[in-house]
Amino acid sequence: MFEKILVANRGEIAVRIIRACKEMNIRTVAVYSEIDANSMHVQMADEAICIGKAPSSESYLRIDRILSAAEIADVDAIHPGYGFLSENAHFADVCESCNIRFIGPSSRAMNALEDKAASRILARKAGVPTPPGSEGPVDNEQDGLAVAKRIGYPVMIKAIAGGGGRGMRQAHNDVSLVKGYHTARNEAEKAFGNSGVYIEKYIENSHHIEFQILGDSRGSLVHLCERDCSVQRRNQKLIEETPSPLIEGRFKSLRKQMGKAALRIAEAAHYTNAGTVEFLVDEKGHFYFLEVNKRIQVEHAITEEVLGLDLVKLQIAIAMGEPLRLSQSDIRLRGHAIECRINAEDPFDDFRPCPGRVEMYYAPGGRGTRVDSHVYAGYTIPPNYDSMIGKLITLGKDRNEAMDKMSRSLSEYMITGIKTTIAFEQAILQDPNFRRGVYSTSFLENLLGGAQRELIE
Amino acid sequence: MDLKDIKAIIDLMRKNGLSEFELERQDFKIKLKRGVTGPMASVEDPSPAAYSAPLPPTGANGLPAAPASAAPAAPAPLEIKSPMIGTFYRAPSPDAANYVEIGTEVTPETVVCLIEAMKVMNEIKAEVKGVVTHILVENAKPVEFGQPLFRIRPT
Repeated sequence: MFEKILVANRGEIAVRIIRACKEMNIRTVAVYSEIDANSMHVQMADEAICIGKAPSSESYLRIDRILSAAEIADVDAIHPGYGFLSENAHFADVCESCNIRFIGPSSRAMNALEDKAASRILARKAGVPTPPGSEGPVDNEQDGLAVAKRIGYPVMIKAIAGGGGRGMRQAHNDVSLVKGYHTARNEAEKAFGNSGVYIEKYIENSHHIEFQILGDSRGSLVHLCERDCSVQRRNQKLIEETPSPLIEGRFKSLRKQMGKAALRIAEAAHYTNAGTVEFLVDEKGHFYFLEVNKRIQVEHAITEEVLGLDLVKLQIAIAMGEPLRLSQSDIRLRGHAIECRINAEDPFDDFRPCPGRVEMYYAPGGRGTRVDSHVYAGYTIPPNYDSMIGKLITLGKDRNEAMDKMSRSLSEYMITGIKTTIAFEQAILQDPNFRRGVYSTSFLENLLGGAQRELIE
Repeated sequence: MDLKDIKAIIDLMRKNGLSEFELERQDFKIKLKRGVTGPMASVEDPSPAAYSAPLPPTGANGLPAAPASAAPAAPAPLEIKSPMIGTFYRAPSPDAANYVEIGTEVTPETVVCLIEAMKVMNEIKAEVKGVVTHILVENAKPVEFGQPLFRIRPT
């Protein structure tokens, strides 16, 4: 049994983890950068330790300082949240060598899936289809051109160490491939410290459908069905829902097929704790493996709602060595859940991030409405981190009810002093294609190209 | 009287160790006072119409920003802040004498304490020149990044 957990993260996910710990009677330690001194996770935790200046590289990414904090606070385990060090195998190793349990997959699993190119190879070995593409990383532009010739344009050049939708470039011909190849490598080096890239066929009008997986330390694995995350802007998810309208509407057998594929990959990687297997599905219902996210994800909340489970508590239980008490036949979706990510961005100014002081804050409530946020009236959103300030989740008995609750909740949500994406998301909820459940990853870009400004106003 | 004149007066005050200066004229009155935290000023204008020059940009204490660099009579105390997270120790070992006490003179190179993290002892240097006036953390207590450890009167 853990007595104390250190939360190596900030913002809404740190609040989420602290809440789960409180319910399990586990004491919490928050770490924070100087600019986060007034942040909600610092207020909520039982103890809080300042670990450095505002830049993540001087605080939330400092393995040495986080471990020092864990040591002086005498914690049993560290929950890394998402982003930051959550998929850093070295960090997981260092924790274990200090006798501190890392709440996430084993470093063995992390190494098996160490980057996107390695994961592709593992998936293919497990008999799971992947988009046509390079065998592994592409080391020079000649090889890149050869791959593109073999698979045909358009292609995607992707950073092997990329994440959160970053580090990707499309190419439609040899000229843009060579240019994109070099740009992508430079950007990847700067953003991820790893210039490796691989190439995949670009699947047009694809649907991003991912499967939540959960495994215990004894090798028991289950999948918790899918989430449809096709509403994306520049490869960043904005709205997610479960079940997927594409699967429910047109390809019902995909749930079982893709679920099984996700489990095969998890088994091949000896995966433990929580993770997500991402796929792309084309208009004909063919699915292709993309990557594994080896951490709890932002949108885990919608899975929790339709299954009545607490995934963070399950993560903690698994890390404590408890066996998974769920079998695949226990997993049955009930109702429909939607999540809108609330970002401090100005939709009218190309989604420019808008940090600043929140003047008024009133979050929606009522039956079937859930808000996961760290923000409060008078809180100043710092400019140093990502712009997501909260998640709004609704659960309905079916998709229509979930959408009605989401519209109602978005209209109640008051945040002044900064710009947010709330009005933009309300416009999406009114869009006829979204309402019909007919949309792919090109949906949002098309909407933005059109008359959405009128809708918002 | 303009900014140049006011700066000249403040300079004179500093050079001669004066702490108060007051000047009253028909259309203008100025009072300057130097204290521990730096010079303060109050500029009163009995006939606003006569004083038409725009006010110079002021710092938090109402004084034009430029003279803030003038060294005040009593220097502001400095704090030595922890550069890391760990356990604070006042001496190199349990039975040795403390590195510093109240009143100890330190130079930038003086080791003032140890902070232990992950079984590694780190010597923390003063990085300032002065006299220790306060010791802000108890021996063997945990410290976080940025936590004040000592207060120093600079010399």
